[in-house]
Amino acid sequence: AMAGGLEPHLEALRRELRASDPTVLSVLLALLAVVITFLIWRFVQARRSSRKAVLLLGLCDAGKTLLFARLLTGKYRDTQTSITDSSAVYRASNDKSASVTLIDLPGHESLRLQFLERFKAAARAIVFVVDSVAFQREVKDVAEFLYQVLVDSTVLKNAPALLIACNKQDVTMAKSAKLIQQQLEKELNTLRVTRSAAPTSLDGSSTGAPAQLGKKGKDFDFSQLPMKVEFVECSARGSKGEEGDADFEGLEKWLAKIA
Amino acid sequence: MLDFFTIFSKGGLVLWCFQGVRGPAAAATAPVNALIRSVLLQERGGNNSFTHEALTLKYKLDNQFELVFVVGFQKILTLTYVDKLIDDVHKEFRDKYRNEFQQKGTLGLLNGTFDFKEDFLRLLRDAEESSRVRAPTVMKTFEQSLKSQKTVKCMIETRGEKPKEKVKNKKNKGPKKEGTEAVAAPGKASAGDKQPPAAGDKEELTKDEILQKNREEFFRRHKKAGEKSSKSPKPEAQKEKGKKPRVWDLGNSNAKVLDYSNSATNGSAEAVPAEEFDRDTALGDRNREPGRLYDLEYESDDEAEEEKVTQNPSKPSAKKGGGLGGMFGMLKGLVGSKSLTREDMDPVLEKMKDHLIAKNVAAEIAVQLCESVAKKLEGKVMGTFTTVTSTVKQALQEALVQILQPQRRVDVLRDVLEAQRHRRPYVVTFCGVNGVGKSTNLAKISFWLIENGFSVLIAACDTFRAGAVEQLRTHTRRLNALHPPDSHGGRTMVQLYEKGYGKDAAGIAMEAISYARNQGFDVVLVDTAGRMQDNAPLMTALAKLIAVNAPDLVLFVGEALVGNEAVDQLVKFNKALADHSMAQTPRLIDGIVLTKFDTIDDKVGAAISMTYITSKPIVFVGTGQTYCDLRSLNAKAVVAALMKA
Repeated sequence: AMAGGLEPHLEALRRELRASDPTVLSVLLALLAVVITFLIWRFVQARRSSRKAVLLLGLCDAGKTLLFARLLTGKYRDTQTSITDSSAVYRASNDKSASVTLIDLPGHESLRLQFLERFKAAARAIVFVVDSVAFQREVKDVAEFLYQVLVDSTVLKNAPALLIACNKQDVTMAKSAKLIQQQLEKELNTLRVTRSAAPTSLDGSSTGAPAQLGKKGKDFDFSQLPMKVEFVECSARGSKGEEGDADFEGLEKWLAKIA
Repeated sequence: MLDFFTIFSKGGLVLWCFQGVRGPAAAATAPVNALIRSVLLQERGGNNSFTHEALTLKYKLDNQFELVFVVGFQKILTLTYVDKLIDDVHKEFRDKYRNEFQQKGTLGLLNGTFDFKEDFLRLLRDAEESSRVRAPTVMKTFEQSLKSQKTVKCMIETRGEKPKEKVKNKKNKGPKKEGTEAVAAPGKASAGDKQPPAAGDKEELTKDEILQKNREEFFRRHKKAGEKSSKSPKPEAQKEKGKKPRVWDLGNSNAKVLDYSNSATNGSAEAVPAEEFDRDTALGDRNREPGRLYDLEYESDDEAEEEKVTQNPSKPSAKKGGGLGGMFGMLKGLVGSKSLTREDMDPVLEKMKDHLIAKNVAAEIAVQLCESVAKKLEGKVMGTFTTVTSTVKQALQEALVQILQPQRRVDVLRDVLEAQRHRRPYVVTFCGVNGVGKSTNLAKISFWLIENGFSVLIAACDTFRAGAVEQLRTHTRRLNALHPPDSHGGRTMVQLYEKGYGKDAAGIAMEAISYARNQGFDVVLVDTAGRMQDNAPLMTALAKLIAVNAPDLVLFVGEALVGNEAVDQLVKFNKALADHSMAQTPRLIDGIVLTKFDTIDDKVGAAISMTYITSKPIVFVGTGQTYCDLRSLNAKAVVAALMKA
């Protein structure tokens, strides 16, 4: 009975299609083509924008651009303060691993947040470069920038792996990674309190209270963060000066793991 | 002559460097970094030269391939060929390495070797030679000059002929100059001797004719004057004969001569005929109630509508005028990659500049900003489907956000904690012109500090304004009522340190700080009297207060309503602080408090003006007169309000 009921309908449809102009059919086909293209495009875009970027962040003069050059070419280059980002595809030494896009962002105070905004969504991992020699002087600024990176909503959501690279270890006065970790934990502990107590932003657009870093009540520890954090020592200039290689096996191993 | 010449990418890689006079390579990096930080990153890229210590740096941006060309030379030298050299080097470098830039991208920059030395040396040699001055003009000898050609007779001056001779000489000086230039160029003395006399004779003849013509024209024009004879000496002689006694206006005349009043009406009441006094026109509106004062009528809405109506008819007419050619031009502009030129950007930048000025940004700052954005965008290749307007707007927005980002850490609580650790009070000084809200915002900030558990000592260093101390005392009482000592462990959270009126403000501040140290207060807030920036003695007094007491934070309080005045205020305040401080690095303004922010809707340009001038951050924003009306700046919201149409 059902089939019987359907048949006349189908017949009517077929007659209708044959009778009327082919415009109805062509319109239907066009709509179908559009829908299919749309689906394909969405799929391709999703694949393309999957997070494949490794961001190099840090204060001014931390050594990000030199590290970038060394990782990609192994040669030493003179550098100036970066005003814009540079990106290139990096392939770890063993060719089996996939490639990642290394992005070197400027560290200057006026630019750093803007560029972070632009690239944070594509970040699979973040390398935070710290100047180990000037660390004692700059600890508050380093901690502030790190805090801003860590409480960012996109970063908290994606939880990219974080590596804190203590650069400039070739200089004798450089602080060790352990010391830097301890100092940063102390600073971030204080910053949690002072930042959340700061006067609210102008139009109150900050969504509710700023994100809480780590666990309340306990002292801040890097293990409380949702992402994996590692500390590594490296030297972009290298112990043998400009002609030799850079010392960053720890960094390279970590990058190979990430890719 | 050049100290160095570097070419580096905007991403920070140095592509090529030339060390001129100096030895070590590192000498180039520090000045260039200073250039980048002060000029390019602070959007002061309007003029392309920058001074750093003993060097002058000139630079050029290539926005298509993201390169920067910088040349440095000693400040005391004035080299005229530098601009041309930079342009030539830019063109040559770009053409030579175009492939690396376009095809290989960043890896090309990293791996490429840019062997540019020979080309650069060649260009430098060319530039130096072209700028070498021409052989200086040789002074002509007496024999060559015209004076030697004149006879003694014609140089004797007689009374009557004086003006004629003078006029002739003046007219000769002009053509004489041309004659000498013609002499200098060939440089042949013999030819020169022959030329001036011939030129001189011809000119004398023509001068006579010209003189005659001029005189006739002159007399024709002044026909009404009448008695002027054709020869100028005669009128002078006539004037000499008829010397008349001079009559002075004020002396010797009696009141009778000066009395111009109508003798009939003077003093008598009813002599003046009653003027036709129209009551209606004098009183105006017939329907008003006698004695009532009406409100100011607010007609802005109607006016705005009228403006819109007048604008709309003009727009369609412009569109129709463009027609088909305009449409195609627009389409061509949308699609395809073309590089931006100055002409494309100028109309858009003009509009953006007017828009910024309408939003209360100081005029000179709006101009400088637009210049800097133009420099950053010149030569940039636009992507498909991006119009010039959108590109410029985007760049301007980024520049504005960049300006508003603080260049140093803005975290007062963290610094107070640091000072607490060292067992000394954290001293904040408020300065500004009259009536901007120093005392009010001081009270708000002390409320915020108390909420966070810090004890505050308010130093009343405004010893001039009537009621200043009482105002602060009222605030102290209120704050103590809001946060009584019991809820903070028996400690009074706010206390006022005052010494009455008329005393020296710097002395009171010093005593207040030592009192705070003894009593263990965490923060000292120093309130100073408002003063105009031109008032030199008061500015000296303020500078002395700040130099002597060395506060941790010097806050300039400015109201958001201020327009172009902001620039003047900040510049003069900073200058006064710098001039009167004894130290090597003077204490300048460290931060800005922007007050009365609730009175401006979206005309938030004052924030931009102030941060641009000082490059110091806006620490607090005051949005009202209650204790809770204290905010921090949100750069994105402010820029959004600025760019909103």
